[in-house]
Amino acid sequence: MTTAMMTDTRAGAALAGIDWLFLGAGLAATAILMALVLLDGQPASAALILGGFGLGVVFLKAEFSFTAAWRRFLVRGEAGGLLGGLLIIAVAAVVIVPVAAIFPNFGGAIAPLGPSLVIGAFVFGIGMQLANGCGSGTLYTAGGGSGRMLIALACFIIGSVVGSLHLPAALALGGIDPVIASKYFGPWGGLAVTLASLALAAVLIIAVARWQGASVWPRRGLVIGGALIGLLTIAVFVAGGHPWSVTFGFTVWGAKLASLIGFDVSSAPFWQWAGPKRALADSVLSDTSSLTDFGMIFGAMTAAAASRPFARASWPPLKSLAAAAIGGLLMGWGARLGFGCNIGAFVGGVASGSLHGWVWFGAALGGCLVGIRLRPAFGLSKD
Amino acid sequence: MRFVYISVLVLGLAAVLADHLSSPSSGRAVSPEDFAGACAPCGAPCPSAQKK
Repeated sequence: MTTAMMTDTRAGAALAGIDWLFLGAGLAATAILMALVLLDGQPASAALILGGFGLGVVFLKAEFSFTAAWRRFLVRGEAGGLLGGLLIIAVAAVVIVPVAAIFPNFGGAIAPLGPSLVIGAFVFGIGMQLANGCGSGTLYTAGGGSGRMLIALACFIIGSVVGSLHLPAALALGGIDPVIASKYFGPWGGLAVTLASLALAAVLIIAVARWQGASVWPRRGLVIGGALIGLLTIAVFVAGGHPWSVTFGFTVWGAKLASLIGFDVSSAPFWQWAGPKRALADSVLSDTSSLTDFGMIFGAMTAAAASRPFARASWPPLKSLAAAAIGGLLMGWGARLGFGCNIGAFVGGVASGSLHGWVWFGAALGGCLVGIRLRPAFGLSKD
Repeated sequence: MRFVYISVLVLGLAAVLADHLSSPSSGRAVSPEDFAGACAPCGAPCPSAQKK
């Protein structure tokens, strides 16, 4: 067989693997949303959709999973996945910490410290191990053709609306205002402190891995994926003025759907705060997190359909679907009380130099320990 | 599963379109943190403001 014939055969096999229906659907849906926001004269919104699209592609192709990475660290001591997550944060922090501190049009992901944050993050950690995906993970796997994660996403949305109704009471338990590194050390000192905190965390994680005799370094794909996700996180920050967040969009979608079927949440205290009130009243395409969420779903759909038949797998056992549903509900509720997910609270928080990001990480890691113990009850492995 | 996906995709896009066309879209996209008094990505107020 000649080289030309072999190349033709490979190209033919690659083309045969493409799921044209869903490839077209993913691209068409993205184009429709982009057209809608551009018709409104909002190029920044189009950039957010594109940023989300890129994140969906990279997450899917790099198979980047916070949930599996945290589980492998807690169960086997493997450090690679966790270090990949820290790489994302380090890349993003280089821009977010100083820019948010210097330019008034930009802001970091900050949040108060208190019982609401700890309880929410802990419950989120349980949920992410049951669902087998966090906020970003749920988006890209659901977008990528996992019916199981489609159920997790639906329940995530429901849980986050319930959480929005409980958040004001949880905040009344007390707390202190956000602690932000740049506020105490200035833009560049704040960046140095943030990077030092990441380095310290990396050293601790590597020490645990070595102590347990587990693998330490992330695989090459994870390093490249982490760096790209970090750069896309910066792009989303520049386009939206705030770090990338995922779960507020879910809460808005859920509240709008709830209103549609007769459950009007607009009078609840959470929906009387200026931001949520505006988000509920305005077009869903006026909300930054919804824009990146949509982009991420369709980016993952496009990337998945470009490489294999889309959503051809059979449905998993009922127990596994129950875990996805319960996990989704817990993540939704926990994300509202804990001020976000792995992205909005952990990545965004730490990359903004906000102490709440590390508190969220610790509490969610504790919740993961509980979630990992619960997984066998749903037919899921502890690994 | 493909039928479920196609249904969700069509219904979801229709819902987004309907919402966009029937709701005001007042300028650039915002996040709840853009509003005065917001202390978290969801727009929650600061504990110090709640005590006042």
